[in-house]
Amino acid sequence: MFVYEKKLQYPVKITNPNPKYAQIIISQYGGPDGELGASLRYLSQRYSMPFPELKGLLTDIGTEELGHLEMIGAIVYQLTRNLTPDEIKRSGFDTYFVDHTTGVYPTAASGFPWSAAGMQSKGDLIADLTEDMAAEQKARVTYDNILRLVDDPDVREPIKFLREREIVHFQRFGEGLRLATDKMDCKNFYAFNPSFDK
Amino acid sequence: MTRGIILQRLDAVQFAMWELHLYMDTHPDDLAALSLYKKYEEMNEKLVCEYEEQFGPLYGNSDPGASWLKNPWPWDIGGSC
Repeated sequence: MFVYEKKLQYPVKITNPNPKYAQIIISQYGGPDGELGASLRYLSQRYSMPFPELKGLLTDIGTEELGHLEMIGAIVYQLTRNLTPDEIKRSGFDTYFVDHTTGVYPTAASGFPWSAAGMQSKGDLIADLTEDMAAEQKARVTYDNILRLVDDPDVREPIKFLREREIVHFQRFGEGLRLATDKMDCKNFYAFNPSFDK
Repeated sequence: MTRGIILQRLDAVQFAMWELHLYMDTHPDDLAALSLYKKYEEMNEKLVCEYEEQFGPLYGNSDPGASWLKNPWPWDIGGSC
């Protein structure tokens, strides 16, 4: 089960609303490399993990991603306070606004709603852990792109924190993959060892 | 301590605890990491008590009702720092 902790993992306090930034950053809420997909990917993949270290790693990182989803929600929420119809039109936020007003909705910045098609749960530890490492890198690039587009330090600081977390998770997943291959058949040189047939 | 300062210290201590927790998922026998974790855990317990005495429950499985519902929530302006 899960127990809510009534605080963010890292503070979010944005003084100046900016709907354009919100429209970009919403991609890390419900886009293809966003936090919702990350959390569901790891929390779903964990069931077929054969080793306790990997059950723990996927549970823990999947849980942390839920905290990141909450931070992104807080950023988008705070960026869309007190908007005027004129600001909404000028910023290009009107295409989001017409469907969701200023509600926080899991969608990619392109407008494509969150989809499980952006993730896998393959039931095979090598396939899944390799996907997880790629997923962390893709999320890191998305944060790099956000940092290329956003100047406001109030927004950049929590985004920089989240970017760092992707790097740490990539490191831990790499260790998890190495640990998995070490524990599998020692003749399994090319790291193929189907979980299903074991 | 003000709410902002306690929250900042909680964030820092819990960050250190969480980093060690993830590290120990792939290094479960590192006893030096475990003893460092215990040190931060002690600091965290004190800070959580201090926070909850003044500002209400931090966890969803503690006191329900008015003290749990009290603003600000974490996403509100001023809710997280």
